[in-house]
Amino acid sequence: MGNCLKRSSSDDISLLRGSDGNSEVQTDPPPPYPEPVGPVYYPSPNISRSVNQLTEEEQIKIAKRMGLIQHLPTGTYDGCKKNRECVICMVEFIVGDNVRYLPCMHIYHVHCIDDWLMRSFTCPSCMEPVDAALLTSYETS
Amino acid sequence: MAANIAAQRIKREFKEVIRSEEVAKCAIKVELVGDSYTELRGEIGGPPDTPYEGGVFTLDIKIPDTYPFNPPKVRFVSKIWHPNISSVTGAICLDILQDQWAAAMTLRTVLLSLQALMASPEPDDPQDAVVAKQYKENLAIFERTARFWTSTYAGGPPADDDCSRKISRLMDMGVDRETACVALSTYNWDLERSTEQIFS
Repeated sequence: MGNCLKRSSSDDISLLRGSDGNSEVQTDPPPPYPEPVGPVYYPSPNISRSVNQLTEEEQIKIAKRMGLIQHLPTGTYDGCKKNRECVICMVEFIVGDNVRYLPCMHIYHVHCIDDWLMRSFTCPSCMEPVDAALLTSYETS
Repeated sequence: MAANIAAQRIKREFKEVIRSEEVAKCAIKVELVGDSYTELRGEIGGPPDTPYEGGVFTLDIKIPDTYPFNPPKVRFVSKIWHPNISSVTGAICLDILQDQWAAAMTLRTVLLSLQALMASPEPDDPQDAVVAKQYKENLAIFERTARFWTSTYAGGPPADDDCSRKISRLMDMGVDRETACVALSTYNWDLERSTEQIFS
């Protein structure tokens, strides 16, 4: 599917300039990195880097993360009453929506959860790490 | 795409906060600032049985384009005396506004968490070292100071006469109210030490 590899939008880049337009909040130092070029990745939840600024270690971590995300099952929403809306976008599921299942059985729109998992490998609802077991089996295989 | 999610979510969250019971109890509130869904104004009622009781605290909330993948930027506009909130800038030290944010959290949960933080300060993880020190070394003075700030800056119940008198004394010497309040708060309402610090 590879949609976790999607190009960054201009929104992602604007995050890097974070402090623009809220000068009165000015507590953060200016961003230490030059203007980003190309897709932006999140080696850690609060660190965003453009692709050409990633260290080799971060590139490996991100590549592994993408692989792991693709191991999580997907499906189409079947109208199940238990999960009515995607808590990330807060939009109600419509039968036929592409959804991804996490090991804790929380479900989300594929594009919503993939975007989140690239930043933090936890379930946004219950904060369960997305399967340490999955990680171990992947790394040893 | 991301910007669409942000605006769309805030619209939905608005309905959620407005419908929720907390609003009926006047404890939390959110309003739009202008037409965009990127700038909001929050309000938190000071929790009961705390020095903040009776005050209404205003918050500045900025929604990043990448919301809800990143947390909203929140800061106190009303000045507040609390170990985890800067008495100078209103900046907040709270894990869910930093690395413990999760995409399922909402404005409502953020405001309720802040209210909980007001009720249970964490002086060992301070944002304002001066306030945290006072909290740890002299809780009674801390509470008195926090109550005074609630009264002065958040419309809380009438201020402590002794505190007001000391502020007036400094103002008689030509010190502005804010400087007087900060100095006295910092030096445990010791008029002599505060005067010394201001004029040294």
